Amino acid sequence: MLDVALHVRGVSLAAGKAPITQTIAPGEIVGLAGLDGHGQERFLQTLAGLHAPPAGEVVLSSAKGEQAIRTFRTAVAAGIAYLPRDRRATGIFPTQSVLDNFAIATPERDSRFGLISFARRRARYERYRDKLSIVAQRPDAPITTLSGGNQQKVLLARALALEPKLLLLNDPTRGVDVATRHVLYDVFRDLAAGGMGLVILSTEIEEVLLLCQRVLVFREYEVAAELSGEAMSADTVIAAMFGRAA
Amino acid sequence: MRADRSWLSGTNGRVAGAFLVALMLHLAGTLLIPGYSAPFAIRAILVLAALLAVASIGQTLVVILGGIDLSIPFVIGFANVVAAQLYGQGWNFGLVCLLVAVLALGIGALNGLISRGLNIHPLIVTLGIGMIVQGLVLLWTKGFPSGSAPQAVSSFVSIGGSVGPLPVPWLVPCLVVLTAMVVVVLARTPYGRRLYALGSNPGAAPLALIDPVRMWVATYAASAFFAAVAGVLLLGFTGSAYGDVGQPYLFQTIAAVVVGGAALVGGRGSYLGTVAGALVLTEINTLLIGLGFQPAAVQAALGLIIVLLVSLYGRERHVSTTI
Amino acid sequence: MSGGKFLSALGSAGFAMILLGVLLAANLLLNPVRFQPAGWGTLMGLAAPLIGAAAASTPVILAGRGGIDISVGPLMGFINAVVIQVLFLNAGIASPLVIVPAALLLGAAVGAVNGFMATVVRIQPIVATLGTYLVLAGVTLTILPAPIGPAPGWLKAMAGPISIVPLAAIFLFWWAIRQTPYYDQLMAVGSDDRAAFTAGVPVGKVRFIAYVITGILAAVAGLMLTALIGSADPNIGANYTLIAIAAAALGGVSLAGGRGGLAGAAIGAIVIFLLQSLLTAFNVSTYVLQIAYGTILVLAVMLTAVQDRLAARRAVR
Repeated sequence: MLDVALHVRGVSLAAGKAPITQTIAPGEIVGLAGLDGHGQERFLQTLAGLHAPPAGEVVLSSAKGEQAIRTFRTAVAAGIAYLPRDRRATGIFPTQSVLDNFAIATPERDSRFGLISFARRRARYERYRDKLSIVAQRPDAPITTLSGGNQQKVLLARALALEPKLLLLNDPTRGVDVATRHVLYDVFRDLAAGGMGLVILSTEIEEVLLLCQRVLVFREYEVAAELSGEAMSADTVIAAMFGRAA
Repeated sequence: MRADRSWLSGTNGRVAGAFLVALMLHLAGTLLIPGYSAPFAIRAILVLAALLAVASIGQTLVVILGGIDLSIPFVIGFANVVAAQLYGQGWNFGLVCLLVAVLALGIGALNGLISRGLNIHPLIVTLGIGMIVQGLVLLWTKGFPSGSAPQAVSSFVSIGGSVGPLPVPWLVPCLVVLTAMVVVVLARTPYGRRLYALGSNPGAAPLALIDPVRMWVATYAASAFFAAVAGVLLLGFTGSAYGDVGQPYLFQTIAAVVVGGAALVGGRGSYLGTVAGALVLTEINTLLIGLGFQPAAVQAALGLIIVLLVSLYGRERHVSTTI
Repeated sequence: MSGGKFLSALGSAGFAMILLGVLLAANLLLNPVRFQPAGWGTLMGLAAPLIGAAAASTPVILAGRGGIDISVGPLMGFINAVVIQVLFLNAGIASPLVIVPAALLLGAAVGAVNGFMATVVRIQPIVATLGTYLVLAGVTLTILPAPIGPAPGWLKAMAGPISIVPLAAIFLFWWAIRQTPYYDQLMAVGSDDRAAFTAGVPVGKVRFIAYVITGILAAVAGLMLTALIGSADPNIGANYTLIAIAAAALGGVSLAGGRGGLAGAAIGAIVIFLLQSLLTAFNVSTYVLQIAYGTILVLAVMLTAVQDRLAARRAVR
């Protein structure tokens, strides 16, 4: 069991905004929703250590004790993986092969005496290829030869290769075909069932409702509503997004 | 036809193409000029190409990174003069080399740190730093460097030298080993893979745990280091110190990298290609001089051929395909 | 140019303006003889080729995606050689009515070749113009193996205060371009070519024209160089290339494209010129001069970058 929880304590997303306190428990899938630019992305990036909040702290607690998340590197070292939103700008390395793109964040795991073993790298890739059913005729061809959905799966494999305890996903199904979406949903559920905590920012409400046990709806850099169970429906989420009472 | 194209546009295709061009140039020389393939002539070509190849190691690395290094000729001159001067003053040559190497690494690290750390185009930074380095060397030697290389270095690069039964100086087999090492480092080490990734998409690199500043510092330091090695080798080759010995290498290193198939936008390129490019440039030079062209005409022809070769296999993508 | 536009053009030069003021004051203080008002015309003549070269380097840099023309210097040298050796000495043509259009045409033609290679053949600009650099330098040395003189009288007369004429011509030309939609397209392509392309801007054509403009301006710079030295010298032009690009960068022209302008480039060039004359005034050895020169160049771009960064941070807050 990965008994790791992420604690957000009094985090303000911008100066003067109401502080947010949340805990992401192991095995939980939490959704983030909101109109574009209302702070949900800033919140996710704060969890990943990519933004230092003006107030409050993000702490990962495990059996080993508590670890403060201040930079992206400390986040990754503590066991947090982050999947960026814009595949082309901040995700793929277009000139590099599928294998390279998969292994680039974790090359040391394939290395022996400083040299990368291609066999090991391939073996590691195959594990994730199975798990995510990546369709790549030639893994040594540039990643740009793959469809958008498969590129996304490779990026997810890159994040999972870090063997994280908590996964932060920034709009993971953007520009991905329907069949692939359902593959990804199954993967997310499996990961959660294995004890991993997941935070998913999505621009599609249906996706949030389908996947998440709980959703935080953002409005003007504050959490406008926290919905779960019966109270979580398309109407209530939309109402919170627009700042209306449901 | 389509298969041909994709093969040509692949990295391996480009490298093979560059070697093929070098071979064709050599055949043309052999047909046109008597004595072009005489043992001594071939040895001279190999030595000259090897010197250029050493000087171009750093340029290859920084180009893969998406940068450019204009300080290479100045660092070559710096190493050339400092090594000669100190050795002439009776220093132990090993100590001289160590000092030159450390200073060069420092110069290169500074190039990388300023360029990436402050996000200034490396063209300007490396030019400025290069000018400072050259000025310091001139100031120290008052413009008249003295001293020479130890015999060992001279024979290491001498065109007349030999390695046992091999009729080439030690430089040539050493370059083969060095090439293999650079190729392995680029292909099989975390540093090499990160180098390509960072050049390919700087925006995605930090999220893939690549530290851009560290990579730039290390890579520019390596570039200056190999420039210094070339400077010391050139000292052995020409016999005496000369501060401007590196100047022809300013554009030649860039040309060798480009003819070898690297894109100057980063993320592409291979050192094997650069070695091929160095051979091509040396062959063109030798061929045109052998045909009786004046140096000025050789220069002009070199410009034309670089453009011609790059238009064959080094074309950029159209903006519409980048969307 | 309206006042606001002019100010914003100067604003992008930012730090270079402060440097300009400091260096001008230092020169006036330490070198009063050379910088007395009566000498300003001569000084302008001395600075004119570098100002022209920096201005010429700017349009292609503005066009973005690695746009750069390192053949500006050799093109100046080529114009210098053709005007004196081919037109004046060999063909006996001295009239400005022939020489000036011929020079501009040559410049435009070389710019068009660069533009063709960079936008149609799609060779990386630095490589394409490196090819042109080598060809032009080689051809110049072939038609003019050694320095030769003199220059026609009217051209020599342009060296001093009259150098304001070609300089003014350059800036009028640029001012005219700024009034056209082409200028907006150029800046759009330079800051984000993909967005510009999607918005229907003919990216290739815009970039091509930028190379032609650069060629024309380089030809004017070549004429100013010829006026200054009053003769032809095959080895002098190439030296201008990198310094001109450095001057443009110093003057706030972003080498990434889409930011800066000719006014900034000119200010950068004047800064470099003032720096040179200040250092010369101290009567130090040329070696110290070179060290100081390199140091100040690096420090200046570093400070500009730091200033930009602080400004950006302030904008976010």
